Amino acid sequence: MKKVLTLLALFFCLNMVSGQDKIEITADDYENTTVEMADTMRSNGKIYVVVAVVMVVFVGLIVYMIQTERKITRIEKEVFKEKDNS
Amino acid sequence: MKKTWWKILAVAILIYAILGALLFDAPRLNILNETIRNLHFHVTMWFGMIILLTASMVLAIRYLRTGNQKFDLYSVELANVGVLFSILGLVTGAVWANYAWGEPWSGDPKQNGAAVCLLIYLAYFVLRNSINDEQQRGRIGGIYNIFAFAALIPLLFILPRMTDSLHPGNGGNPGFNAYDMDSRLRIVFYPAVIGWTLLGLWMASLRIRMRKVQKQLED
Amino acid sequence: MIFTLIQKEFILEWRQRYAINGIILYLASTVFICYMSFNLKLGLVDPIIWNALFWVIILFTAVNAVAKSFLQESYGRTLYYFSLVKPESFIISKTIYYSGLLLLMSILGFLFYAFVMGNPVQDKFMYLLVLCLGSIGLSSTLTLTSAIASKASNSSSLMAVLSFPIIIPLLLVLIKASKNAMDGLDRSVYTDQLLTLVAINALIMGFSYLLFPYLWRS
Repeated sequence: MKKVLTLLALFFCLNMVSGQDKIEITADDYENTTVEMADTMRSNGKIYVVVAVVMVVFVGLIVYMIQTERKITRIEKEVFKEKDNS
Repeated sequence: MKKTWWKILAVAILIYAILGALLFDAPRLNILNETIRNLHFHVTMWFGMIILLTASMVLAIRYLRTGNQKFDLYSVELANVGVLFSILGLVTGAVWANYAWGEPWSGDPKQNGAAVCLLIYLAYFVLRNSINDEQQRGRIGGIYNIFAFAALIPLLFILPRMTDSLHPGNGGNPGFNAYDMDSRLRIVFYPAVIGWTLLGLWMASLRIRMRKVQKQLED
Repeated sequence: MIFTLIQKEFILEWRQRYAINGIILYLASTVFICYMSFNLKLGLVDPIIWNALFWVIILFTAVNAVAKSFLQESYGRTLYYFSLVKPESFIISKTIYYSGLLLLMSILGFLFYAFVMGNPVQDKFMYLLVLCLGSIGLSSTLTLTSAIASKASNSSSLMAVLSFPIIIPLLLVLIKASKNAMDGLDRSVYTDQLLTLVAINALIMGFSYLLFPYLWRS
């Protein structure tokens, strides 16, 4: 325990090194229309096409994961049952 | 780890995070423009990697304490997923940097740190593969894992603060201000970190089960 | 106990003088190769390059010098130590001994390097201090990695693979601090870098002290 505490203390010593200033993001940044964003995609609804595509890819990956999981579960059952019988 | 609820939770959180990242209002910032949304995909990889690698180190410590082979297996597979995350983080970072900073590799301290981190964990796998005895492999691999993590602490948390960085959160780079996240970004960002980490855990758990089956078949 | 072990390292080293002579020769020829391949004297070599090159030379020498610390120990002798001493005192003695050796090497290296490549260092005392901290840090990292590598097959190439990425953070701070000393900046400007160096050294030593007993058991 003592050793762990010593190491933690060391870690905090390292942390003493000064950090730098950050710039806050303010509410103005959300209204600042001088900065170009993909506003047209939003106004004509095309952003939803992108969202749909990303979602399809993501769901596809998850379905693949689930199937792999199922397969492993089945194999686990087979292998460990065999072990018990022998 | 075989329970399903946390996997469903992970998927739900990730769906929320992806929708939120793409659709919620984002701050309008110069240079960054719409790419600020990358925050929820690129930076989360980085956070997830640190969480997974920390878990890997903790499990390595437990392995050294108890000598239970199980912990070693967990530790390796977590490191494996951590490496996957770090590669994804590096690649997405390079793509983003290409458009935000003008070149894919701009010598940013955090970028270099990520590369070194990758090197360390690749060395870890090389070390493990060059030891044949299983007990030896676990023990020595575990020792290197802990030692490497200790060496990473200054690299990841201290050095970037001492030098100017293009990344937000540190350094006073005049051409690119250091922005701090605000609450509207955070409500997507933190869930996204949790979601990606849980997904990483899920992947690791699949690999762990696969390895257990493999071992059973060998015996 | 630690003192006896250091003494033993020293006697062993003295018996195998060819090894240390080899390292010195390695250092000298690397410096000379750098000099020849740049084919330039100071003034044409950028101070940043001068500094970085020096640290790279020291790094390679250190890897070669410390690599043998565990690789040279035969299996039987290790067993013998195992029955006699505590692992903690063993790693401490090794670290102290190799820090000393490396310090000697880096000072020799610095003298020769400055002799052929010219000496732009302005704050010599601080540069020496950084050199000192660097030798301690390098030797403590490399001692543990050499202990790890000695357990695996193809250990000599593994040694470099394992140690280089771990050393990078240390090396970055070293180069930065020594560059400041070289430019003769006011000492207060980079005291935090020196403190970071001390902290990194302490961290590495602490971890090798904690981890070595586990390595020893196998």
